[in-house]
Formats: sequence, structure tokens, C-alpha cells
Amino acid sequence: MLAYDLFQLIVFPGALFLFCLAFLYEWVDRKFFAKVQNRYGPLYTGTLGLLQPVADFLKLLYKEDLVPKACDRNIFSSVPIVYVVLPLTTLFIIPISGQTGLVAFNGDLIFVMFIFALMTITVFLAGWSSMSRFSIIGSVRSALQMLSYEIPLGLALIGPAIAAKSLSISSIVQWQSANATWGLWLQPIGFGVFFICMLAELELVPFDIPEADTEIVAGWRTEFSGRKLAMFRLGRDLEIVLASALVTSLFLGGAQPLGLIPPVLVFLVKSLFVVIMLSFARALFARFRIDQMIAGMWKYLLPIAILQIILIQLGLGV
Amino acid sequence: MGYASTIKVPFGPQHPALKEPEHFLFECEGDIVVNVTPRIGYVHRGMEKAFELGTYSHDMYLAERVCGICTSAHTTCYTQAVEELMGVEIPARARYIRTIIAELERLQSHSLWVGIVAHEAGFDTLFMYVWRDREVVMNLFEELTGGRVLHAINTLGGVRRDISPDAVLKIKGGLDYFEKRTKEYLRVIKTERTFLKRTSGVGLLKPDDAASLNAVGPTLRGSGIRNDVRVDDPYIAYGEIPFNLITSDGCDVLSRTVVRTEEMLESINIIRYALDHMPAGEIRVRAPKNAPPGEVVSRVEAPRGELMHYARSNGTAKPERYKVRAPTLANIPSLCKTLMGVHVADIPIILAGIDPCFACMDRMLIIGKKTNEKRYFTR
Repeated sequence: MLAYDLFQLIVFPGALFLFCLAFLYEWVDRKFFAKVQNRYGPLYTGTLGLLQPVADFLKLLYKEDLVPKACDRNIFSSVPIVYVVLPLTTLFIIPISGQTGLVAFNGDLIFVMFIFALMTITVFLAGWSSMSRFSIIGSVRSALQMLSYEIPLGLALIGPAIAAKSLSISSIVQWQSANATWGLWLQPIGFGVFFICMLAELELVPFDIPEADTEIVAGWRTEFSGRKLAMFRLGRDLEIVLASALVTSLFLGGAQPLGLIPPVLVFLVKSLFVVIMLSFARALFARFRIDQMIAGMWKYLLPIAILQIILIQLGLGV
Repeated sequence: MGYASTIKVPFGPQHPALKEPEHFLFECEGDIVVNVTPRIGYVHRGMEKAFELGTYSHDMYLAERVCGICTSAHTTCYTQAVEELMGVEIPARARYIRTIIAELERLQSHSLWVGIVAHEAGFDTLFMYVWRDREVVMNLFEELTGGRVLHAINTLGGVRRDISPDAVLKIKGGLDYFEKRTKEYLRVIKTERTFLKRTSGVGLLKPDDAASLNAVGPTLRGSGIRNDVRVDDPYIAYGEIPFNLITSDGCDVLSRTVVRTEEMLESINIIRYALDHMPAGEIRVRAPKNAPPGEVVSRVEAPRGELMHYARSNGTAKPERYKVRAPTLANIPSLCKTLMGVHVADIPIILAGIDPCFACMDRMLIIGKKTNEKRYFTR
């Protein structure tokens, strides 16, 4: 039994599977984004450029790793690892191969919210510790951004929990398949709010303000190179997997068994759809300015999120 | 002991928003810019001195290379100045061919700029599409002149290559496609909400300021002032071609974008008219080697605004003095005025808004180390 548990943690649906998924989703994102912009995207490495994200990762691993003299060395070298570990840990909670996550426990929804806040703090520390002008501006922007989307995000996460009367993601998935419905149909407003917050959390256009390349180079990532940059890229890919997995689990029914089709395939199709939606959104818009983004979040997104909770309390969408 | 109320944010010479090295020092109070100090001269190439060393026919190649984007504007201006010194009258067909090439160049320069502004605003999809369609014009250039970037079509006394009836059809086909796409981009620019949020009301330049600080080109027309060398002082064939002068009175980055995009549509009409009314005949007359003593100022509406060349001859085969005033230099004072009081995040898009071409305009700046005296050396 222990061997099987270890296999689950390390190979499927654990770390190895999630890394492969991260690279696959990066490829899907890049390819789809390129197609929308009438480009080819990755083309040469592997069939249709499928191996391009892996090749990029390996290339970065053996590149020179420069550490600025002025930076805070301890934080600077530990944040890239933390940035990978956080989304990876969170993905163990989410039901992927069945209707229960690997380490599901009651209240893991709160844990996910906590991890999201922690990721932004990691980003803030990454920029702050590198002591570069662009990094500091980028990290301050990312902290400001978190202050504005945090509350709508929390409210959007709470919606499905109220409906399922549980704070566990696995039970929310089970509740959806037991009632033969999706969170999307019951709480469409909550879905929209959650999707916008995910765009902001992942720092995608129109909310790529902390890493606006024409304004502040690469934002908080400017000073990282070599292995550290590779870790950040992997962490970003895992974060995209996490975001799509969360949207899938909370609003699209998650890993439901569908006749003979195994739940993991259902999950993959749904989360791929979410990734494509994310990259489509990122192709459609221009970047907001930080003040416009914060004002918009507080003025429009927060009242809408509260409206959704009120609707649930009134008995609609439960 | 008090705290400094402003922080100094240097911008350039190496910066992702600047494609060429130039330095701006911003003094900011929080997120708002309160003072701007430009520092130019990083890419001074000593071109005006080089003009004096070459003969008139050599200088043709130099004028070609003042700017990569508006190369034919510079050669038009150069040939116009030297032909006036020499007293050469070019054939009518050559004047029309120069006009067609100049307007095609405006198309590619403006579409390049629309792409860059979209990129600065974080709207990469528009950037990719605009630059894809710009290829249509670039391919036409290759077809007509043999060069995609440097066209080398103008020469003293006329043009180097004729436009065949076959090529006329190709240009028209390309223009039909380009017009359809440009109309679509104009619609996107005017309606896309996130793009409007970044451009509308950003980088205000009042008409009074624009006029008194000598802004030129689309920056001036974007502030609602009717000024265009093609209309005010018609050169080559512009006097014989009917077209509209485009202005917009929003005074912001959005109206500069709209002016440029609508100017592209107008350029397409100019090219169509010129192709239909091109007179037959010679394309080139022989120009003499020497120019009699004299001096001349020649003006051209380059894609970025009014371009001015000054030449003085002394009877030999080489100019005695040659001066180039590129439009970007004229736009720097009004740019600094525009940058006062903006958000730091808006700086790149406003800087890109004047369509800067720093290498064409750069002057040498000499700073006395002890006296801290600054002197611009323009030769």
C-alpha cells in the first residue's frame, strides 16, 4: 500500500505527471496564443514543437546563473524553489484522477486561498530581494495587484463552498456530480469573477502589469537568470495548471467519471478548455495601468462578487 | 533635515521602450512626473560633416541612410535641394514616381508606428497583425525599387526606375488589400476598450503649446492644428493631386494614432490618383557635376513631420555646408511638455507617441567637466 501511495505522489497523478502537464499546457498556451496572432508558435522541437517548453527549461538549467552583488542572497536563491513548491503542493489537493484529491482534507479551500496569497508574497520577495529598480517596481505592483483582487477571489471561491456546504474541494466536486450540475450554470457571475481574478493572479494580459515588458523590462523577474529563471518558468506553468484545475473543479464539475471515460481524461479536456480561454483572453486586450486596474477591481468586481453571494443567500444557484 | 520630495527616475539610454539610445531623466513625486530633462547625443554620426566631404552624387547615398524608415523622404529632400542649386527641372513622370514612393513609405512608416504603440500598450495581437500587413507594402517596395528598406529610387535629375503598367496593377492590388485591413484596424483602435483606456486622455498636448513649441507632423495635427508641408508648400507632384489634410482635436495619444491611421487611408487615395494620372515620358534628365554658388532650404513632409534640409554650395562638386533637421528634433520640446504630470506607467506610450527616430536627429553634446557648461555641437 505504501508503494502505491508513493507511486501516486511521485508519478501519477503526482509530481511527474504534473510537470508533464505543466509543459504541455505551456505549449498549448503558446501555440494557441500564436495562432490567434496569426503566427506559427513553437514549431521545430518535437512534433509541432511539443517539446519546446522542455527544451527551454533544459536550456535555462545549464545557462549561467548570475547573482547581483547588491541582492539579499538567502532570499534571492530560495524564492525560485518556493515558487515551484507552492503550486505543486496545492495541486495535490485537487482531485485529478478520481473524485478525491491525493491529500484532500476538510478546509482545503481555505488552504488554497492561503497559498495564492503566499505566492504573491513570494513574488514580492523575489523582486524586493534582487534590489534592482525594475524588480522593486514590479514587486510593488504585484503586491498592489494582490490587494485589489484578493477579496473578489475569496468571495468567488466561497460561492461553490456555500452551495455544497463544504470547505473541501473534493466534496464540492462530488456535490456537483451528485446533483448532476456544474458551478458554472448555478453561479455564472462567480465564474466570471473567478476567471478575471485568475488572470490577475497569473499576471496575464490585461493584468500583466507587474511584468510589463515595455515599461519595466521583466518586472520582478528581471534579475533572475539560469536555473532560477528556469524554476520561475516551471512555477508559472504549474500555476497555470493550478488555475485551470481550480476553475475545472469548482465550476466545471471537475474530474467526473463519464461512462467508460476515466475521470482523468474528463479533467484534462475541461482544464485544457480553461487554458485556451485564458490564452484567448490574453490575446484580446491591451494592458491596464496599475491605478486603473485597482480602481476597476474595487469599483466593479467586488460589488459583483458580493452580488453573487447575496444571490446564493437568497436561494438562487444552490 | 528634510526628505527630498521628488525621486529621480532615469529612463534610457538602454530601455525596453526605447528602440534607440536616448536618455530622459524624470523627477517624480510619487507616481507623477514633475520635471523632465532630455539628454540627447548618444548616436551622433557626424553625417553633416560627411556631407561636406562627398560630392553631390556621393551624398545621395548618405542622404539615403540618414533614416532607415523614412529613407525616401530624406532623398526627396536632398534631391530637391541640390536640383534647385543646380537649376535642374525634373521630368513630370519622375515627380509622380517620387510621390508614389513617398506615399508608400508613409504607409509602411505609419503602420510600423501603429504596431509599436499597440505593443507599448501591451496589445500584442494588434502589433502582430499590423506588422503582418505591413509586409504587403514592403514587398511592393522590393518589386518597384529592388530594396525593401533602402529604396534608392531618387537620383539627381529624376528617378532610377520606371513603374511599368504591370507594376501599376500590382500596386493597386496590394493597396486594395491594405485599405481593407487599415479600415479594420481603425475600427479596432477606435472601439477597443482597454486600448482606449491606455491612450485616450493620455499625453495631452494643448494646441497652443503644440504651436508655440514647434511640434511637427502628426503630433501637431493630433492637436488639431492644420499644418502639412504637402498642402502648405506643395512639392513634387502634391500640388496636382487632390487630398484631405487629416487632423484630430483630441490632443492625446489616441488622436495621434487616429491621425496616422486616417493618413494611411488618405495616402492610399493619393497613390491611386497618382497612378491613374501619371504622365508619360522621360524619368530622368542629366544633372551637372557642379552647383553654382548659392544656398537653399528644402522642406518635405516626412512620415514623422516636417523635414528640413539646408545646403550651401560654392561652385565646386561638393556642398560647402549641409544641414539636416529631422522631425524628431522639432518634437522633443513639446514631448517634454507633454510628459509633465503624467503617470510613470504612461511614459513609454507617450514617448512612442511622437514616433521618435533618435538616430536621425542626434546632436553632439559637449559637457565642460569643470564648469558643467553644456553646448550642442551640430556638425
